[in-house]
Amino acid sequence: MKREQKAKATNEFNQVVMGNSLSKDAWRRLRKNKMAVISVVIVAIYMLLAITAPILPIYSYDEIVNEHQNLLPSLTKTSGELMWDKKLSDLYTQAWRQNRLTVTDAENEILEAWVLKGQATKVWDYLLEEGNRQLAEGSFEWSAAEKRTLDNLEKKIASDIQITIQKVWQTNQETGKKINISKMAVKDLVQLYADLLGVPTEPIVTQYTYEITESVSKEIQAEVTDLSKEEYALMAEQRLSDMSGKDYDKLIKANIIAKINSTVKDMALYELKSDASQASTTYPFDKEMSITDTVSASIKAAKMHDRRYYLGTDRLGRDLMSRIIYGSQVSIAIGLIGTFTSVLIGVILGSLAGYIGGKVDYFIMRVVDIMYGLPYMLLVIIAMAIFGRNILNLFFALAIISWLTISRMVRGQIMSLKNQEFIEAARSMGASTGRIIFKHLVPNSLSVIIVFSTLRIPSFIMTESFLSFLGLGVQAPFASWGSLVGDAVGGMTLYPWRLFFPAIVMTIFLFAMNFLGDGLRDAFDPQSKNQL
Amino acid sequence: MAEATTTRQPLLTVTDLKQHFPIESGFILKRQIGAVRAVDGISFSVYPGETLGIVGESGCGKSTTIRSIAQLYKPTAGKVMFNGLDLVNASKDELLKARKDIQLIFQDPYASLNPRMTVRQIISEPLTIYSNRKMLQPEMTKEEIETRIEELMERVGLNKAFKNRYPHEFSGGQRQRIGIARALALNPKIILADEPVSALDVSIQSQILNLLNDLQKDLGLTYLFIAHDLAVIEYISTRVAVMYLGIIVELSESRDLYHNPLHPYTKALLSAAPIPDPAIERKRKRIILTGDVPSPIKEHKGCYFYERCPMRMEHCATNIPPLHQVSEGHEVACWLYE
Ligand SMILES: Nc1ncnc2c1ncn2[C@@H]1O[C@H](COP(=O)(O)OP(=O)(O)OP(=O)(O)O)[C@@H](O)[C@H]1O
Ligand SMILES: [Mg+2]
Repeated sequence: MKREQKAKATNEFNQVVMGNSLSKDAWRRLRKNKMAVISVVIVAIYMLLAITAPILPIYSYDEIVNEHQNLLPSLTKTSGELMWDKKLSDLYTQAWRQNRLTVTDAENEILEAWVLKGQATKVWDYLLEEGNRQLAEGSFEWSAAEKRTLDNLEKKIASDIQITIQKVWQTNQETGKKINISKMAVKDLVQLYADLLGVPTEPIVTQYTYEITESVSKEIQAEVTDLSKEEYALMAEQRLSDMSGKDYDKLIKANIIAKINSTVKDMALYELKSDASQASTTYPFDKEMSITDTVSASIKAAKMHDRRYYLGTDRLGRDLMSRIIYGSQVSIAIGLIGTFTSVLIGVILGSLAGYIGGKVDYFIMRVVDIMYGLPYMLLVIIAMAIFGRNILNLFFALAIISWLTISRMVRGQIMSLKNQEFIEAARSMGASTGRIIFKHLVPNSLSVIIVFSTLRIPSFIMTESFLSFLGLGVQAPFASWGSLVGDAVGGMTLYPWRLFFPAIVMTIFLFAMNFLGDGLRDAFDPQSKNQL
Repeated sequence: MAEATTTRQPLLTVTDLKQHFPIESGFILKRQIGAVRAVDGISFSVYPGETLGIVGESGCGKSTTIRSIAQLYKPTAGKVMFNGLDLVNASKDELLKARKDIQLIFQDPYASLNPRMTVRQIISEPLTIYSNRKMLQPEMTKEEIETRIEELMERVGLNKAFKNRYPHEFSGGQRQRIGIARALALNPKIILADEPVSALDVSIQSQILNLLNDLQKDLGLTYLFIAHDLAVIEYISTRVAVMYLGIIVELSESRDLYHNPLHPYTKALLSAAPIPDPAIERKRKRIILTGDVPSPIKEHKGCYFYERCPMRMEHCATNIPPLHQVSEGHEVACWLYE
């Protein structure tokens, strides 16, 4: 609505008189519906988390930490402690198998029964407790090899650090001025890198030339297939010589900066590692370190095994919580964008069919009928196969197929409205077809459209999840609720949390959306309310 | 008045207007198997400043007549001349220009206002449409439209403080006033009113009728006014046309029709209307029509009223009586007066 339509009207006492629109009434009724209000709050929280994901204090969703695979969810323990426990229970179990860790016959029976039922986690938990008790009592001792393993692990947990290079500077020795390397000229950069490595510049130049040519020809290979090696090389050369000096410099710069960063990282890591054994630094930190006399860097570092995973980790050691949050982003976006596009297409085509009628109606409705007849899932799968599997195509495939129901519904609604007198009134005033559809007909079917869309979002999410579950939807490293559940099914018995958390998050959202849809329907149509 | 109407140029002339709604059957290849002859050839003129009333039973084609005149339906045949322009064959632009001068008031005050619009949006809609098309003379600014809305609301007796309210927050009579304000917005020459008071209760009816009367006097409006209530028609009309099954059976000065009805159908209609004086009411002889109203699908060879006419003659069964003048300004379609 345009602002100018909100002109104030005042009565004789100079009080503003505002009308109560039907949607305002509906909103008031919705607010009385407790379930709907709770649902609105839940949906709002989800949306907020999904939108703010990049600035939330969570780990990256695609960072793989090999040592942290399948860690249990824990609110209190760090990943190091969890790793330690895991190792201990591994060793205790081994010892129990080798009969070095002795338990009573009754306990043995129970443990064996668990093993038979495949409940390995129970065995581990039990033996961890039992082993720790016996170790404290002195009735069990580690072998020398085991001791060594544990010592190594302890050292590793204490010293493993993870660092990220944020900025690298070079200090000019004469002026004492610091220059960010991303702002340096190519020549200086190459020189700096050579100095860092302690080699002459020529081999570096040969290396980056080779690497850039290689990456360009890779690019070409991705674009055109079925050429001979010589042709590729020729095309790559062509493209490089076509490039302006500036663009080529950019490529060199990116190449060298990446190399400098990784060299600086290695050097900093080395320094910090030797520090860590002396325990002179506290982690995590974010500070400037000098790497050589002239080079310094701003570095973020944290102890690798101080990380906490409140919802555990997945098969590759990625933080499940951040994967779920980023997965929500994808799933909710698909639900919203898919619904939006399908409602847009459906409303436009449905209202045209309903209002104009005749041949237009006949044609549109036959298309709808035919598309209804085609197997929905198959179409999506075929579309994904043709256009490639990425998120955008998934949106697209879902949207072009799911406008059918809404267009039928809108058509029916419009047909029942178009013979109303207020439409005749508009026509007699010379209103155009577009105006009648979008100012009169669509606003009057809005309640149906809104309710339908709300109930449509969960079904979109379900479809997307189903496709992702089958491996046709979102591709790694991206996540969606469906792909998370799909990934987790494999280790369902050993690592139930990997399945449980995404599933529960998804379920809550779908419930909320459905309650909200029902609430909206009741709110828009007070007569239809099913009273208990 | 009688001389005046004959010498003046008519504002609206309808000639042999027919509106048939085809009845189709068949799945893909539609075949027309008949037609509802809602309006089956009517002719009349409306003169500036007068009110032509149309009465008739339910389903006799009154609303359809108005809708075909307003070109909401494409007429099957006939001519509608308005201000020298044939609306039936007019181009889109000509029609748009003419529409500015022809406005409608509808029967159902609940269905004729868009429930999602505020009163000011409803009343300003015709202004907005024509101003968007740059066809408003003179052009109006947003503020001028705003003042026009308030002016119109006051003119029809609505409190302008309510302009941001929605139709469902008003009573039936108030809603009909909104409809009238909307019809007045473009300063039309003629207003086609389709039973504007039949959905209201009696006390409100007279208020609305008085309002329409006042507006006519002040703004020099011309009305084509439909009603099935004879009292209402008598009150408001200068001339009256009586419709039966899609044709006009009698057309006369209002006073003349009530004192001297000629057509048997008009007589029956008048005798069925209650008279507020119990003495006369008791003594009066009623004409009870036998039989049902024939289906509008039927094609007639003779008089349309033949089946139910108490005075039918053999001649009537096979010959359609034309509408012809019996006395000054009094036309009737009946063989009795030939
Ligand atoms: N769009 C249409 N399609 C088919 N038949 C129609 C259509 N509109 C009206 N009719 C038929 O035309 C005839 C006349 O209808 P119309 O609405 O003009 O009657 P009316 O005189 O206004 O009656 P009422 O006093 O009840 O309003 C009726 O038989 C009706 O069924
Ligand atoms: Mg009618």
